[in-house]
Amino acid sequence: MLAILTNMLSMCIPFSVALLLASIGEMFNQRAGVFNLGCEGVMAMGAFIGMLIPFAAGGGGAVSEWYNVLGFAAAAVLGALLGLFFGVVTITFRAPQGIAGIGLQMFGVGTAGTLFRHFVGGTQSIPGIPDIEIPLLSRIPFLGDVFFSHNAVAYLAYLFIPVAWYILFKTPWGLKVRAVGTNPRAADSMGINVSRTRYEALMLGGALAGLAGAYLSIAQAKMFSDTLISGRGFIAVALVYFGHWHPLQIMGGALLFTFAQTFQTQIQSMGISFPYELAVMLPYVLVIVVLSFTSRNQTTAPTSLGKPFNREMRT
Amino acid sequence: MKKLLTIMLALLVAMSLFASGSQESSSAESGDDTIKIALIIENTIDDKGWCQAMHDGITQAMEMLPGKIEYNYSEKMAVVDAGSMARQYVAEGYDLIIAHGAQYKNTVLEMAEEYPDVSFAFGTSSEIGPDNVFTYMPESEETGYLNGIIAGTLTKNNIVGLVGPVDSGDSARYNRGYVLGVQSVNPDCKILVAHTGSFSDYVKSSEVAASQLANGADMMTGSSQQAIGALRATAESPVAMWVGQDLAQLTTPEGQAKCIAASAYNYAAVIVELVEKIESGVKGGECIPMNFNNGGFIFEFNPALEQEWVSPELKAKVEDQIAQFQAAPGVLSDWALVDYSTL
Repeated sequence: MLAILTNMLSMCIPFSVALLLASIGEMFNQRAGVFNLGCEGVMAMGAFIGMLIPFAAGGGGAVSEWYNVLGFAAAAVLGALLGLFFGVVTITFRAPQGIAGIGLQMFGVGTAGTLFRHFVGGTQSIPGIPDIEIPLLSRIPFLGDVFFSHNAVAYLAYLFIPVAWYILFKTPWGLKVRAVGTNPRAADSMGINVSRTRYEALMLGGALAGLAGAYLSIAQAKMFSDTLISGRGFIAVALVYFGHWHPLQIMGGALLFTFAQTFQTQIQSMGISFPYELAVMLPYVLVIVVLSFTSRNQTTAPTSLGKPFNREMRT
Repeated sequence: MKKLLTIMLALLVAMSLFASGSQESSSAESGDDTIKIALIIENTIDDKGWCQAMHDGITQAMEMLPGKIEYNYSEKMAVVDAGSMARQYVAEGYDLIIAHGAQYKNTVLEMAEEYPDVSFAFGTSSEIGPDNVFTYMPESEETGYLNGIIAGTLTKNNIVGLVGPVDSGDSARYNRGYVLGVQSVNPDCKILVAHTGSFSDYVKSSEVAASQLANGADMMTGSSQQAIGALRATAESPVAMWVGQDLAQLTTPEGQAKCIAASAYNYAAVIVELVEKIESGVKGGECIPMNFNNGGFIFEFNPALEQEWVSPELKAKVEDQIAQFQAAPGVLSDWALVDYSTL
């Protein structure tokens, strides 16, 4: 029984990274007052460009680790540019954020699939990045498997959580982000450039979503197909609500969702008499149930979320 | 400015929709005796699985019947888009429109009623359709059974894994055949079965496979195109090996390294049969089963791994089973009785 539990928990960290990065990125967007439903599309583009670089370098064979690093960097840059593009549409032109987000989602998924067919062809795999067993620590029973036997990006992603918390709650820029998402008019009157702050948050959010996509294609699945993201961008958006726009709670949500995924897989594999259709739904039902019970507590929600800011108009 | 933005967004969405599908054609010299075939698929012609198998079958049939077939295909067709695509093909004078997936059933039946002079086909289905609708049903329990014999024989941990998409169609048949095959040679073997709930979620497929590998499975298989994700996860294991549902998996680096044997649907035989029937005036109303008996399946060992992994006894056992399947159809008619909760 302990072995089964160890196996389930040891998968939670590596399998939750893509959701974690994307939802932390979305958290920065929403904290600044911008609701980006296009996360899925940005992840798809990140997954594509992230995979393309090591694939082009090695033709699917082994390549220097630096090409993987370059893949992640390119995904972050592309994600930031898509965040910038989304900012032009929603901040400068003040388009409805929900519709623009759906447009970005369709654009990202469609473009990534089309470019993939043009530059790569059919479903292809890459060697990706290996797991690293941290000396000594990885040998600790139970804890070694659960915490110290994962790939480098998984460690970095989890180390980024306290950094994200510090940026959001302890830096002047984080204060600006929270101010423009809560009361942009007051922030504006205090001399904060609302549009610029929102642009910056969108670029950071886009970069993290791009990295999340690249994690899927380089570190987890180690392949690309145009269905690779399969709704994970939308789950990331839901996790932001689940985690009440707080990095630590979002991390808890990502881990809980991933644990539910591994748990339902375990239920199926153990041959327990339980309809697999219900087992597959379990993580999603869990998110809905938790959201239902916690949605009353909206005190941390950015009050200007989804509202375009126009300093020339009284609201 | 808002109008400009609205137009830009509309163009963006239209571009995305356009980008999400593709259409290609290859043709023989068109003549009076040419049969024009159109294929509508959910994924792509190079998905190393379900869609590629049919595309490859049609192109092979074109080689078998030189100058007889004109062919066109449309990829990434959602069910809601398939109807308009099929109407376009009807307008262009296509004789046979194949909607490759049971999810297209309602669309096909609706189109068949509207255009009685055009032949349609969809599968997997064992239903007998209207007079202008063919169905086809791969009896995949046979190929699953062969892979099960190999997995049940070669497992050292006495644990084998199976990653399925959804429990329906040919995947359900393959998966249950695999279970029967394992049990036929190794009744005490633990068989881990899990479904991803999707035909195309490669990430979830790899996660399920990783879970089963962590639980000790050392022989793995998977069905439908999502199995590529599970194969990729198996390639990460230093000990586990793979048996495949599709020969296209052998063309991948991980398939070369891990896939001991694989089977394939011989859709070329189905297409040739369909062409012959249409030429003789039969437009539908029949179900074409696919099995070893009628040449509907191909099975091969991986030459790169055969010497190391396949003993003469195992090879003889597999070949003997293929001979039984070739001799008569329906050898595994009790495949549907397999209950995963009893494993």
